[in-house]
Amino acid sequence: MPRKKLGNMDRRTFIKTSSMIGLGAAVTSFGVPKLLRAAPPTIKIGSVQPATGPLAVIGVGQRRGNQLAVDYINAMGGIKSMGGAKLELLLGDSESKPEIGRSEADRLIKAGASVITGPFQSGVALAISTLCEQRQVPFIMDVAALDKITDKGYKYTFRVFITVSGLLNGAIKYLKMVTDMKGVMPKRAVVTNTADAFGKGMSGGFVKFLEKSGLPIEVVDKVQYPLGIHDLSAEVARIKAAKPDILFPVSRPGDGIILTRELYKQRVELLGIFGPGSPGWYEPDVIKDLDKLIYYVMVNVPWINPESKVYQQANAAFQKAHSRYLDTNSAYAYTGVLVIADILERTASTDPEKILKATRQTNFTNHPVVGGPVQFDQKGNNTGALTALIQVQPDQDLLKRVKIVAPNEFAQSDKIVFPAPQLWKR
Amino acid sequence: MDATLTIQLIIQGILLGGIYGLIAMGLSLIFGVMGVINFAHGQMMVMAMYVSYWIFVLLGLDPYLSLIIVVAVIFVMGYVIQATVVNRIIDYPEAMQVLPLVSIGLILENLALLLWGPDHRSPQTILSLESIWIGPIMIDVSRLIAFVLAIFFTILIFLFLKKTNIGKCIRAASDNRMGAILVGIDVNRIYNASFGLGAATTAAAGVLLLPLMPISPHMGHDFTLTAFIVVILGGMGNLLGALVGGLILGVAELVSTLFLPATLKQVVSFSILIIIMLFRPQGILGGKK
Repeated sequence: MPRKKLGNMDRRTFIKTSSMIGLGAAVTSFGVPKLLRAAPPTIKIGSVQPATGPLAVIGVGQRRGNQLAVDYINAMGGIKSMGGAKLELLLGDSESKPEIGRSEADRLIKAGASVITGPFQSGVALAISTLCEQRQVPFIMDVAALDKITDKGYKYTFRVFITVSGLLNGAIKYLKMVTDMKGVMPKRAVVTNTADAFGKGMSGGFVKFLEKSGLPIEVVDKVQYPLGIHDLSAEVARIKAAKPDILFPVSRPGDGIILTRELYKQRVELLGIFGPGSPGWYEPDVIKDLDKLIYYVMVNVPWINPESKVYQQANAAFQKAHSRYLDTNSAYAYTGVLVIADILERTASTDPEKILKATRQTNFTNHPVVGGPVQFDQKGNNTGALTALIQVQPDQDLLKRVKIVAPNEFAQSDKIVFPAPQLWKR
Repeated sequence: MDATLTIQLIIQGILLGGIYGLIAMGLSLIFGVMGVINFAHGQMMVMAMYVSYWIFVLLGLDPYLSLIIVVAVIFVMGYVIQATVVNRIIDYPEAMQVLPLVSIGLILENLALLLWGPDHRSPQTILSLESIWIGPIMIDVSRLIAFVLAIFFTILIFLFLKKTNIGKCIRAASDNRMGAILVGIDVNRIYNASFGLGAATTAAAGVLLLPLMPISPHMGHDFTLTAFIVVILGGMGNLLGALVGGLILGVAELVSTLFLPATLKQVVSFSILIIIMLFRPQGILGGKK
C-alpha cells in the first residue's frame, strides 16, 4: 500500500517538475526579448526567422543577432534623428515553412512593424517579398541567397546578403586566383553534394559556372548522397575510383567529418579540398574533431571580419550572452538591423516611401562582415556583398585556425597552402 | 565494372553488415521473447553512443574500453523501461503497444538534444583512422573490430541463452509464458532482463559505431528502421537471422552504389524488404510460424 502511494506521488512530482523544465526550456529558447517600454516613441522591426523546426539552431542564432543589434542601437541612444526613439524587435517564427513565414510577417506588420527583416531561407523570402510589396512595407533581408527573390522587380525588397550567383562567381574567382598564384592546375575534379535543395542547387550551379569559366578542370564524377548520411565509405570508394585531383564538396556539418576521415582511410590522393560555398568545414566542433585532417581545406563563403572593431565588440557581447561566437549568419543578422537603423537615422521617419528613398541611398561601412560598403543596386541587391576565401591553417588556438586568405584587404594570413600535403602525411 | 572497387565495396558491406546484425539482434531478441516491437531501439543506441562519448570526453577513456560500462548503463535503462512501462502494456493489442515505445524514443531523443545540443559530435578515437591494406584493397580497422566484436557478441548471446539458467528461463518464457509461470519462473523479471539484454546489445553496437560516424540526437530513427528491415529479412525473433539479414543488407546497400546514386540506398533496402515479404514472409531463417 505505501509503495503504491509513493508511486503516485512520484508521478505527480515528475509531471510537475518535467512540465516546469519544459516551460523553462521553451521560454529561454526564444531568447526573451527585452521589451523596452520606457521611451514612448518606439520603432518596431519585424524579424521572421526559422526559430523552430529543422533549422532551429540557425534560426535562434539569427534572432539573437537581430536582437543584439537592437540592444546595441538602443544602448547607444536609439535613433537620434527621431529624438532617441528606441527600436523594438517583434519576433516571428517561420518554422522553416514559406506559408508560415508569410503569415508571421503579416502578423508583425499588423502589430505595427515598420520594416521586416530575416528570413534565412530563400523560399520564405520569396513569400514575404510578395506580401511586403502588397502591404508596402520595406523588406530588408539579412540572409537569403537565391537570385530570384530580387529578380521580380519589387520596389520594397532589399538584400544585405550575397546572391547565389555572387557566391559562385566568388568561388570561380578564388579558384583561378589560387591556381594562378601557385602555378598548379588540377585536371580532374569530383563534385559532391547533399541531396537537399541547397546542395543540389549549389553543386549544379557550380558545375555550370566551372564549365563557363574556361578553367581546364573536368568534372569526372558527381557524387550525391542524402542529407544526414551516416556512412560514406561506398561514396569515397567511388570518388577514389574516379581519380580526381581536387574535390569540390557542397556539404553540411555532419558529412564533412565523415567525408574527410574516409578520404584519409582510403588514401585518396588529392591536391586539395575546395568548398564552393557550404558549411561543414569551419564550425568550431568540426575543427576540433578533425584536427590536423581539416588543415588546408579552402572554402569560399560570406564571412565575418574578425579584425574589425564592430565585429569584436559584437562578438564580445554575443559570447557574454550566449557563450557561442558570433558566426557569419548571426553577424549578417546583426548587420541587417544596423543597416535598418542607419536608414531610419537618415529618414527620421517611418514613412515607407521615405524609407525606400533612403534605402537606395545607403552607404553603410561600419559592419562586421567581409565586404565593401552596403549599397543597394536597382534590383535591391547589396553591391558591397563579397565572399571571402578561408583556409583552415595550423594554430594553437582552435578558434583562430580559420583564416581569411582573400580578399587581400581582409586577409589574416598571406600564405595559401596549395597543393596541400596528403591527409595521411601530416 | 572496376573489380577493385567491387571487392572493396563487398568487404565494406560485410563489415557494416555485422554491425547492422548486432543492432537488429537486440530488436529481434525483445520481439522474440515478449512479442513487443521496440520502437525506441535506435534512440537507445544513440543514448549509448552519447554515454560513451561523454566518458571519452570527460575521462579520456576510449570507447572500446568504456564498452562494458556503457553496456551496463544501457542494460539498466532497458531493465527499468521494461519494469515500469512495457510490462504494463504487454497484454494490450499491438497497436496500443506502439505508442508508449514511440514516446520513450521521443523522450530519449529530446533528452539527448537537451543534454548535448544539436551539433554533430565525432571525437577522434585511437583507432578511428587506422586502416590495413591488402594490395589495393583497404580494410578499415575500426570497422573490422566492430565486425569481429559483433560476431563475438552474437556467439556470447547464443551461449548465454543455451547454457545459463537465466538464458534457459528466457527461452522458456519466450516459448510458453503460462508454462514458464507454472514451473515457477518469475516471468516479469525474466522479461526485464530480456529487454535489458536487447538494449545492451544495441548499446554495444552503438559504441562500436562511435569511431565511424558523428553522433547527433536525431539519428536514432534511421537505425530503428535499419534494424526493422534486418529483422524482417532474417526472420522475426530469430537471432541468427538478424546476423544474416544484417550482412545481406550491408552488402546490398554498398554494392548498389556501383549502379545507383547513393540517394537511392534506401530504395534498395526497402525493395529487398518487399521482395522478401512477398516470397518468404516469415523471413530467410524464420521457419516456425
